[in-house]
Amino acid sequence: MDELINLKNVRKVYRMGDEKIVALNDINLTIYREEFVCLLGTSGSGKSTLLNLMAGLEKPTKGEIIIGKHHIEKMNEKQLAKFRQLHIGFVFQSYNLIPTLSALENVSLSLTFRGVPKKVREKMAKEMLVAVGLGNRLRHKPSEMSGGQQQRVSIARAFVGNPEIVFADEPTGNLDTKTTIEVMDLITDMAREHKQTLIIVTHDPEIAPYGDRIIHLRDGSIEKIVQNKKKEDYA
Amino acid sequence: MNRIDLIRMGLKNLWRRKLRTFLTILGVLIGTSSIIVMLSIGFGMQESYMGMLSRMGDLTTINVYKGYGGGYMDASSGRKSNEVKLNDEAIENFKNIPHVVAATPLVETWGMIVSGKNMAYVTLKGIDPNSMQHFEYKIAEGRLLEPGDNLAVVFGGGMRYNFYNERDLKRGIYTPPDVDLMNDRMVFTFDTSGGYPAMPGEQRPRYKEYNLKVVGVLQEGNWDTDYSVFMPIDTVQKMIKEKEKAENYPQQNKSKDNEYETALVKVDSIDHVEEVQQVITDSGYNAYSLSDSLKEMKKMSSTIQAVLGGIGAISLLVAAIGITNTMVMSIYERTKEIGIMKVIGASIRDIKRLFLFESALIGLLGGIFGIGMSFLLSFGLNHFGSGFFMNVGFEPGSKISIIPIWVVFAALAFSTFIGILSGYYPARRAMKLSAIEAIRTE
Ligand SMILES: Nc1ncnc2c1ncn2[C@@H]1O[C@H](COP(=O)(O)OP(=O)(O)OP(=O)(O)O)[C@@H](O)[C@H]1O
Ligand SMILES: [Mg+2]
Repeated sequence: MDELINLKNVRKVYRMGDEKIVALNDINLTIYREEFVCLLGTSGSGKSTLLNLMAGLEKPTKGEIIIGKHHIEKMNEKQLAKFRQLHIGFVFQSYNLIPTLSALENVSLSLTFRGVPKKVREKMAKEMLVAVGLGNRLRHKPSEMSGGQQQRVSIARAFVGNPEIVFADEPTGNLDTKTTIEVMDLITDMAREHKQTLIIVTHDPEIAPYGDRIIHLRDGSIEKIVQNKKKEDYA
Repeated sequence: MNRIDLIRMGLKNLWRRKLRTFLTILGVLIGTSSIIVMLSIGFGMQESYMGMLSRMGDLTTINVYKGYGGGYMDASSGRKSNEVKLNDEAIENFKNIPHVVAATPLVETWGMIVSGKNMAYVTLKGIDPNSMQHFEYKIAEGRLLEPGDNLAVVFGGGMRYNFYNERDLKRGIYTPPDVDLMNDRMVFTFDTSGGYPAMPGEQRPRYKEYNLKVVGVLQEGNWDTDYSVFMPIDTVQKMIKEKEKAENYPQQNKSKDNEYETALVKVDSIDHVEEVQQVITDSGYNAYSLSDSLKEMKKMSSTIQAVLGGIGAISLLVAAIGITNTMVMSIYERTKEIGIMKVIGASIRDIKRLFLFESALIGLLGGIFGIGMSFLLSFGLNHFGSGFFMNVGFEPGSKISIIPIWVVFAALAFSTFIGILSGYYPARRAMKLSAIEAIRTE
């Protein structure tokens, strides 16, 4: 049982003028290597905030976030960028592909920032797109693809660098039921195959059972944690 | 991100917004070319004045006069206490000043040259035949004075026109002089009566006549030498003594014999004239050189150039604001894209480099096309604008607009620098953009 992410007394407060919004309050949480965690909760419960904190996209107001041996909350912009580049993949609800780039270019972009040469990164990106079933859409722009296809491209982008952790914020939020199942199967299969840790945010109770563990959030606090599978099964 | 990807990505981004990129580049083009053309007119003006000055004489020659200025009057002797003598020793000292190539005393006297039926009033200039070759006397025919010459003369290029036929003139006819400076017999005399019979009772000095041996004629077109006649200084001094004797002029103080009124000092290059001139004036002499006027003219033309360049600079400033505007707009449009890039691992340095590269490229391209444009405009000015510019002090036939090669490189560097500078603020904004907020914008 290998601890990967540790949150200690994490608090996040947004200030809107004089008003304070407590998005997360005293979160203590451990996520294990190769675990698949679902963050479940109603709108505004703080799911996205928690995910963004763990991905180093936002800084906590208080508390510690430790990934591996790194204190995320103490890193500067430069270190965070490097850290994301090497260890983290991200899937968004709204795909967030760059509209002017083709599927292949979108997927290889993150490798570009790592300094991977063009030939190598295009080969890697192509393999990834084939793996998500888009081998015949390499040159398509996002606007020339369906929502499900775009989300597959963004999944390919998240996994192409073989990151340790993949974060997904409502990856199926914009998709119909059938496509939702396809996309969820794809993400979980990929993560399992490459022994990656997967953290998915959702408000859909139908999706939650995919997770090894379901963390219920309410008003910025952990309400309960449901163990779907025995820890020993994946540890 | 490696460099080649950065360039590829930057080019792609600019190409994506072709029209706007083109218009921004056009702004830089106009800015750069207006600066270059304005400066080039300044350079043209400078060149034109230089040409004019060099026709007025030699720019690297300093005229030295006996010092009368400065110092206190010594009541007992009636001489200035620190008056310096312009004698052979002083000339030798001038020769030892660094960058001085040659120095010669200059003795002048006036008289008349008669050649057959023609005659001319002339200024005889006696100089050191050893040093004549070092001064910029451009020979057209024959040779310059050499050591050992005695009654040898070198005519200025315009001397031909100085001769006239006295007898014809008296009858009211002017015939163009028909003298062969090199081969005709030339006789010099201090007698300037031109052959008129003496008035009754008038006592005329009996001057000697000197048979001159013409060894050379200088090129025409130098206002300083055109109407002079050069002879070895020893000969001229001897002639002056003989003249004074003929006129019963009181014998001069022996000690002053060796002093000159004027000397010429030749400097190795125009850049050192001021320095040498300073040394000479510091030791108590008066000195004048054409580079004094050159200095004045340079001051004036650099003022003009600054004004012209300033006008050009305003348009480049407008262009720089244009670049900033374009890049800021591009950030607004690409906010989300920048957010995405940051989330998937672009470092802030990558973002900064990308934006700076794009704006630098706009600057560089604007600079390149601006230079092309400047050469076209410069060509146009030189070929079609001369009528207008002749009226504002340009010499006929000189170029109005000159673009030195260093200006081309300076313009490229400058426009690229302006591009980077204009892109700096937008780049910082892009860097500081919060990834998560950027990604939320639609
Ligand atoms: N940038 C922000 N500034 C101010 N308040 C914020 C900001 N981001 C989030 N919040 C507040 O924090 C709380 C939690 O927001 P969060 O986005 O984490 O909710 P969520 O659980 O992801 O909801 P949803 O399911 O609708 O996406 C909300 O009350 C929200 O208004
Ligand atoms: Mg959310």
